Amino acid sequence: MTSDRNPISVTRLLPWLVLMAMLVLTWGLWDHERQVSRKELHAQFEFALRDTVSRIEQGDSAYEQMLRGLQALFATTDLTSRDAVRAYVETLQIDANFSGIQAFGVIQWVPMARKPAHLAAMRHLGLPAYALLPPGEREQYAPVIQSVPDLGSRRQALGQDAWADPVRRQAMEKARDSGLPAISEKLGAPPGPGRDTAPGFVMYLPVYARGAALESIDQRRANLLGWVYSSFGMNDFMASLYGKPAPGISLSLFDGVSPSEASLLFQAGTPAWDGAASRGSALSAREYIVLSGHTWTLCLSTEDSFEARFGRKNDRVIAVIGVCLSLSMALLVWYMIAGRAHALRLADAMTEQLRHLAQHDTLTGLPNRALFSDRVRQKLADANRRGGHVAMVFIDLDRFKQVNDGHGHAVGDLLLQEVAKRISESVRASDTVGRIGGDEFVALMGDLPDADSALRIAEKIRLAFAQPFRINDLEFSASCSMGIAVYPGDGSDEATLTKSADQAMYRAKEAGRNCMKQAAVP
Amino acid sequence: MSKRCLTTLLIVLASLATLNATGPDRSHSYTLALHDHGLLYSAATNAGIDKDVADELIRRSGCKVTVSLMARARIWQLIESGSLDFSLSGITDAERDKFAAFAWYFSDKFYLLVRKDAAIRNQADFEKNGRLQLGVIRSFRYSESANRLADRLQEANRLSQAGGLEPLYQLLVQNQIQGMIIEPFDYPALQEKQIRDISTIVELPDPPVPHGLIMSKKALPAPEQEKWRSLIQDMRKDGTMLHIFEKYFKPELAASLVNF
Repeated sequence: MTSDRNPISVTRLLPWLVLMAMLVLTWGLWDHERQVSRKELHAQFEFALRDTVSRIEQGDSAYEQMLRGLQALFATTDLTSRDAVRAYVETLQIDANFSGIQAFGVIQWVPMARKPAHLAAMRHLGLPAYALLPPGEREQYAPVIQSVPDLGSRRQALGQDAWADPVRRQAMEKARDSGLPAISEKLGAPPGPGRDTAPGFVMYLPVYARGAALESIDQRRANLLGWVYSSFGMNDFMASLYGKPAPGISLSLFDGVSPSEASLLFQAGTPAWDGAASRGSALSAREYIVLSGHTWTLCLSTEDSFEARFGRKNDRVIAVIGVCLSLSMALLVWYMIAGRAHALRLADAMTEQLRHLAQHDTLTGLPNRALFSDRVRQKLADANRRGGHVAMVFIDLDRFKQVNDGHGHAVGDLLLQEVAKRISESVRASDTVGRIGGDEFVALMGDLPDADSALRIAEKIRLAFAQPFRINDLEFSASCSMGIAVYPGDGSDEATLTKSADQAMYRAKEAGRNCMKQAAVP
Repeated sequence: MSKRCLTTLLIVLASLATLNATGPDRSHSYTLALHDHGLLYSAATNAGIDKDVADELIRRSGCKVTVSLMARARIWQLIESGSLDFSLSGITDAERDKFAAFAWYFSDKFYLLVRKDAAIRNQADFEKNGRLQLGVIRSFRYSESANRLADRLQEANRLSQAGGLEPLYQLLVQNQIQGMIIEPFDYPALQEKQIRDISTIVELPDPPVPHGLIMSKKALPAPEQEKWRSLIQDMRKDGTMLHIFEKYFKPELAASLVNF
């Protein structure tokens, strides 16, 4: 039973299996595409990050180099050579390419003991109003002694003591001790009207006494003459960088490693440092850039337009097409299976019909000779195996030809059908009645306890003919002659039984019809 | 007597000539870049292992070498292009092998420096905890498992990249990152105590990695590279290298770094 059911349930499940398999495949493709897409987006973002870092570093490097030029000038001339500095800066032809620079300047290192000499020297240079700012006595001074060109708002006034400003001082100390460029922390925009109100920073390079040994920190401190510096406005610095900012990316730049409003140096696009977490799909990254020994934190995050520009939308297409295809495929399989089942049912019915036609008499619906023979063999085999008797009764209608001749074949056929019915009703349900010729019937009875049982059933058949037959409002009296042969006494197989029954039937005819004869009784 | 003197003089002259022939080409000047990195070189003090090695190398070669300070990423880029001849304390990988030659002079292991309060006992602990951020220096390559860790954390957006060690230490102190990959010479010259107080060391399961003089293959022909390599070898053989390392480490650690 199980083996019969399995194919059916598998067949029923097949559309679902196909649907599931297709959906799993779709999911696999969708997932793969999403990952590829995510990787590509990440790669684009990573590239934008690398590019931005590189642009800032290159910008810094270019400005550093310009300042080194000014530092180099003092290898050949004195710190107070104002004309030389002015000529150098003019020769640089600082155009829009370097608009980040607001001013170049020179700072002199003045220990307290040298303060009067310094003031005198500056006044001697033609600056009668020169004074150290803010006023007051301090151990050391680092006043601006020259600033060119006179452009930016971050320009420090002559005499302004940069050493007094802790932010500037820290960078100046770093430059002095290392001999390398140093960038200050963020400087706020100074009050008052100015070209650039954005924050800025200052880059310092130390100037040492010519030819002095500078191996150790102590040597460098002892031989310090001053600094050269360039001051920058952050907006101009960023605008002057080479290359193009990546589209769809917001950028925030902070002083130090802790992003906050206070340390914000530059902002392009929507704030990228605190809002990034709330925008779920956005990519964001932080990079800590070290410029001239100072750290800036770069925060980048993608805006929607970045994803729109670089993101591949194939995953959605794959999902929609995949689901549609999955459903169509499952439906197609369902149709095919349903169609096949219908065809199979039709074929089964037709086969059954054909088998019935092949095994039955078309007029009476009784088993024909072929089927009857089959049943005989079965009954004989049973009897052979289990014991018991099998009877074969030949039944021939008496004078049937007269009915055919007198009333036509149609009436004859109806009579035959009625006869078949009465014979069938006379025998037991387990017995078989067949039609083997025009007016010849045969009954097969198995499981008989003795030969006499067959006689009793045969007698019932004969009596069934006692009532007249009513066909098309006509009454017909009919009788039959029967020959009975019983296994195993009258024959051991179909052929001998048939022959015995046939002979007995002829003897019944010869005995005047409407009677039955047993094969065993001569 | 005078004949013997003449012979001696000739022999001395000949050996001097040979010596000169085995040294690097002095006909042009070279460029060497340092990077600001813990005890290797500190711009703030203008001192460090790399600086000492560079000074000694320049002295022995007798060549004119311009020394400058650059970001490590820039150094590799210039070594590859051939614009820069040398740098120091470099490690190699398949990619770098294509454009750089090396003369090894010390070997050490990489470690994971983690915050004590992050409760990390091994590399896997760090990787498992999704809230922990690792700090690395951009373009740096480490030992095998450290590289793998960094690559995987980058995929998971858990990597903070910096242009140098200094910001990484600041981030570690501020608990913005909880770990970084370091070598014994990576402790900052200035805030060493503060860092040691808040952090602990986790071993990485990799063998020591050799570090050496980086030579640009584009800038230096193979025979020249060999000459510089033999200068480094001489410094190792005569104890100069050990002496340099002993300035910065305890004698046992210095010996373990240099003798590999």
